[in-house]
Amino acid sequence: MSAPLRIAREEWRLWARSRVVLVAALIVAVLLAATSVLTALRLAEEAERRTVRQASAEATFFSQPDRHPHRMVHYGHYAFRTPPPLAAFDPGVDAVTGQSIFLEGHRQNTAMFADTRAAADLGGFAALTPANLYQLLIPLLLIIIGHGVVLRERESGTLSVLLAQGQAGLAIAGGKALALAGVAGLFLLPVAVLAGLSLAGGESPLAAGLLVGGYALYLAVWAALVLAVSLWVRQRSVALGVLVLLWLMVALIVPRIGINAASAAIDAPGKIESDLVMLAEERKLGDGHNAADPAFEALKKQVLEQYESESVEELPINWRGVVASHSEAKLTALMNTYAERRMEREAAQARIVTWFGLASPTLAVGAASRTLAGTDLATHHRFLRESEALRFDFVQGLNDLHATALTYADDAARSSDPEAEKRTRINAASWRLLDSFRFVPDPAEARAARAALPLLLLLGWLAVLGGAIVAGARRLAP
Amino acid sequence: MSGLLREARFLLRDRGALLWLALALLLSAAATGFGIAEVREQRATIAALLEEDARDRADAISKQEEWGGAAYAAFHLAYAPPSDFAFAALGQRDTAPWLHRVRMLALEGQIHEADTKNADFGLIGRFDFAFLAATIAPLLLILLLHDLRAGERVAGRHDLLVATAGAPQRLWRPRAAVRFGGLALALLLPFWIGAGIEGAGLSKALAASGLVIGGLAVWGLIVVAIGRFAAPPPVLLAALVGLWLALALLVPAVSRAAIETAVPVPDGAEILMLQREAVNDAWDKPKAATMEPFLARHPEWRPLGEVAKPFEWKWYYAFQQVGDQQAEPIVTAYRKGRLARDAAAGWAALLSPAALVERGFERLAGTDTRAMIAYEDHVRAFHADLRAFHYPLFFRDPPYDPVVFEGLPRYRPLP
Repeated sequence: MSAPLRIAREEWRLWARSRVVLVAALIVAVLLAATSVLTALRLAEEAERRTVRQASAEATFFSQPDRHPHRMVHYGHYAFRTPPPLAAFDPGVDAVTGQSIFLEGHRQNTAMFADTRAAADLGGFAALTPANLYQLLIPLLLIIIGHGVVLRERESGTLSVLLAQGQAGLAIAGGKALALAGVAGLFLLPVAVLAGLSLAGGESPLAAGLLVGGYALYLAVWAALVLAVSLWVRQRSVALGVLVLLWLMVALIVPRIGINAASAAIDAPGKIESDLVMLAEERKLGDGHNAADPAFEALKKQVLEQYESESVEELPINWRGVVASHSEAKLTALMNTYAERRMEREAAQARIVTWFGLASPTLAVGAASRTLAGTDLATHHRFLRESEALRFDFVQGLNDLHATALTYADDAARSSDPEAEKRTRINAASWRLLDSFRFVPDPAEARAARAALPLLLLLGWLAVLGGAIVAGARRLAP
Repeated sequence: MSGLLREARFLLRDRGALLWLALALLLSAAATGFGIAEVREQRATIAALLEEDARDRADAISKQEEWGGAAYAAFHLAYAPPSDFAFAALGQRDTAPWLHRVRMLALEGQIHEADTKNADFGLIGRFDFAFLAATIAPLLLILLLHDLRAGERVAGRHDLLVATAGAPQRLWRPRAAVRFGGLALALLLPFWIGAGIEGAGLSKALAASGLVIGGLAVWGLIVVAIGRFAAPPPVLLAALVGLWLALALLVPAVSRAAIETAVPVPDGAEILMLQREAVNDAWDKPKAATMEPFLARHPEWRPLGEVAKPFEWKWYYAFQQVGDQQAEPIVTAYRKGRLARDAAAGWAALLSPAALVERGFERLAGTDTRAMIAYEDHVRAFHADLRAFHYPLFFRDPPYDPVVFEGLPRYRPLP
């Protein structure tokens, strides 16, 4: 048996005999298991409910009676963001963003009813999820268990004995590293199990494997930090104080400072704010409900020429439907410009926060974890884009019906003449034009590519700390 | 007194302790500075939007020729400005909306609109003074106080010091007092400066200072109680960090999960679906099906409640209102559920000094759940004013005259 392995074995023996270590480990294990089970159940139920709702929203749309097509434009539809399999481990922004969007003509609504709005407010700490426990709690456990791995030997005088027997400092450090890695490895089991279960839910092995790998890296960074401090500092209480302070900075303070910095550096206006600016522009486009709006003069000229007609009454198609379709297209282009600008700014903010991962591995692993799970901001943005495409398709489909299935005369008289109003209702079978919508996150390769930067930051941390450990081990003296 | 001065001199030579205090000062300055910047940003947003809003409304109305069309086109900005104390605790303002643009259509379709900011913000949270005082400061206090006695034990001076001091209290109390006071001062100084800049009232600043000191005092007692055990400093520190973790992070998180299971809140999506079905079905129903429930609630319009044509504005806005009326039971349950959860959280916070301090700060800053719900109620009241203004125009239908809109209700924020 090699020296490092023997040193590690002795360390494990000591921990197994220590009540403090056992109790702490047990508490964390129970908490982790309970949280994992509860979160997995909650998310499974949530996914089920949203899938059912999505289907029932479609069924409701199809079952609407004969109507004027523009009624259906306002009747609208819903898109639900179904949580991906790995959300059971890291629900990510799900609780903050709201889960469904109401899709209707002339407007882009925001996602509604975020869980956080109905949450019990007990201060600034996030909800209990397995991902949060991994990011905050297990590092602290590693600190409590491992801050004395080398210092204990020093304080009890065994370090000089070990060194006098000709053990190299590197071998000692290697053994201690192995000991810490063993504990960290043990605590990787729950995430491995959850990732394995997500495979059954249809998650790709690449994303699930990388998620486990990312957390392995993260715990390795913490184990390395604990060992490095234990090697370099000469007193146990100082070592523990320094490590707790580092944990406080890395896990709680820097991420929030990163958020503050991103918010201060880039002003991303909220939707209501940018909508107001947009409305002023929108009014210049003309009101699609009012076919006589002077904004449509140029369009009128063009359409009349195309059909060689003298007036809109003579057109073979319904002029009101043409206007509705034209103004919806123009308006959507404008809304998308603003929406893209808003998302671009949010993405820029997210990039700033990710770069704060240089100063906080917790932030880096959080970004990687949410990305791989498909619960990050970028995935939410994709949901917004896809649901917008769905909205535009069905609204324009209905506008086409409006232009081709009704006569202009009936359409113009429908508010005052009940008979004309009856003729403007089209057959409910036409509502089948709505596409079915099932939201799935990016393919695993795309998620992996997005998670590369934060994972590299973690690797960088590990390399730097590895260097510090080697240097500390070389100069290890009693 | 001489004891305090002596310990203060010691403290100034203790580099480790000075580091903690400097860190506390730095973090407090950062939290306060960021808080003030954010609050000013929000005020600037509101000011800019108010101008834009008035211009947009005038522009919208100028293009209309009938009462109903003007009501359809005119949006009104509703908002909750940050209080002069909000810089210290942004609380629910990061997740609950504090801006709305409402118009005469069914309110349930509008009031739940979230003015979403970057989702990561709500997820990770901000570093504001309330978070610092409630969660971070106790850990700094633990790091400062945990080795009062044990440090002297390690240095081998403990027994000598106790023997020469006569009463051991005369030795430890000044030392603990100086470190405690130093930390409180380092935290509160930037905060007081910030409160001065923001013009937060003296009573609020004092109450907040009391919260900070009271919260720290509870933690101080915990440290002292644990410190009586004659264990080596690392063991004491590990135990204290474990306690901090339990009280500041785990207890609130577990209570929150428990409360949300015990106090169900109806799904918000139900409100919207119900309201939308009600509003859209009205187009196909006989006019009486809409006018009956509307007139039951607004009997003053019964004499003019006859709808003769396929489309009339009074009927259109009546069914918007009836849609809201149908959603009322769920809306009430949703609001009650949120308040019940908040009340339960108030009790649960008694188990965690950190949650208690944070909630106290949010209460003072008017950024707690109750304040956000009060704002929503206020928006509802404003919408009622809008309806009261418009209904006479729809039902009596006088000749169209845009001058009447100079009398439109103006939104005034809650004091």
